[in-house]
Amino acid sequence: MSPTNFNLHETEFQRIQAILGRMQNELRAQLVLLISRSGQPIVISGPAENIDCTSLASLAAANLAATDGLASIVGEREFSVLVHQGRRRSIFISDLLKKFSLVLVFDSTASSGLIRYKCKRTTLLLEDVIRDFQKRIEKAERVMSIPQFSDEEIEELLGEVKSQ
Amino acid sequence: MYYGPGLGGKTTNLQYVYQITSTENKGKLISLATETERTLFFDFLPIDFGQIRGFRTRFHLYTVPGQVFYDSSRKLILKGVDGVVFVADSQEERLDANLESISNLAGNLKEQGFDIAKIPYVLQLNKRDLPNVVPAEDLKQQLLIKGEPVIEAVAMKGVGVVPTLKAVARQVLVELRKSA
Repeated sequence: MSPTNFNLHETEFQRIQAILGRMQNELRAQLVLLISRSGQPIVISGPAENIDCTSLASLAAANLAATDGLASIVGEREFSVLVHQGRRRSIFISDLLKKFSLVLVFDSTASSGLIRYKCKRTTLLLEDVIRDFQKRIEKAERVMSIPQFSDEEIEELLGEVKSQ
Repeated sequence: MYYGPGLGGKTTNLQYVYQITSTENKGKLISLATETERTLFFDFLPIDFGQIRGFRTRFHLYTVPGQVFYDSSRKLILKGVDGVVFVADSQEERLDANLESISNLAGNLKEQGFDIAKIPYVLQLNKRDLPNVVPAEDLKQQLLIKGEPVIEAVAMKGVGVVPTLKAVARQVLVELRKSA
């Protein structure tokens, strides 16, 4: 499965959303995201007050990518969990099968030990869903259901008049 | 992905796109840069292009740091790339830097499993307004890889920036259509 080209069916999306929602409630996290390693937010759970999830996803993916680089330099296979502790809010980032990441934003009332424990459990549940849709994609003839849009439609999207 | 030698105009391209895009169609422009505004890790700008057959299309524009010693960062950011804009610095004294950067791009793409000959790719010849530039045809001959679109630009003034973005977006969409 390409890290950037895949699609989720609604049932898979709902399974993931349920897992993230449960985690968010149990930990009273402000935000829980599943993101791709290329920095795309895939499923978001939480009120996300004033948090730019697009930028958060991109930066979290870059953070993990940079950390992979650091691990390689010091002879480690990976640093699969990152915690950034702030005064009011903290961020927890965890790798999922090297293709996705789990990102949590939580406030200072949450216990980081409990978060690590719950994340470990949630990671296993998410990995099951991801493996299921990986198998589906491997069996399918085509990765994505993209309609065959025409050149004219592309030009219209790009706001140009197609030249004759 | 905007690629190219240091101080060639990659970040300037993104800054212009950010400036001219309406608020509802853009996210934040994130710039991870040094105190002297040299790109340290990347710039990032999400842009909404609108809908095509009911599909919302969003492009994530990234730049890489151009300075030679940031190669390990460039490799990380290239993962998962869909298309590349090479921003060439048209000044005579930067010709070697352009050539080195293209070679670096080809090598880094290969490491990621991409082929520069096959990936959506546009060549932008930037800084065309400066007095010491290589003639466009000569520069094109030196830097052209595969008959890709070549667009002359003055990114500081916004000239050529949008045509460049549209050219690479077009190729990315055509490639996406082929993969379906």
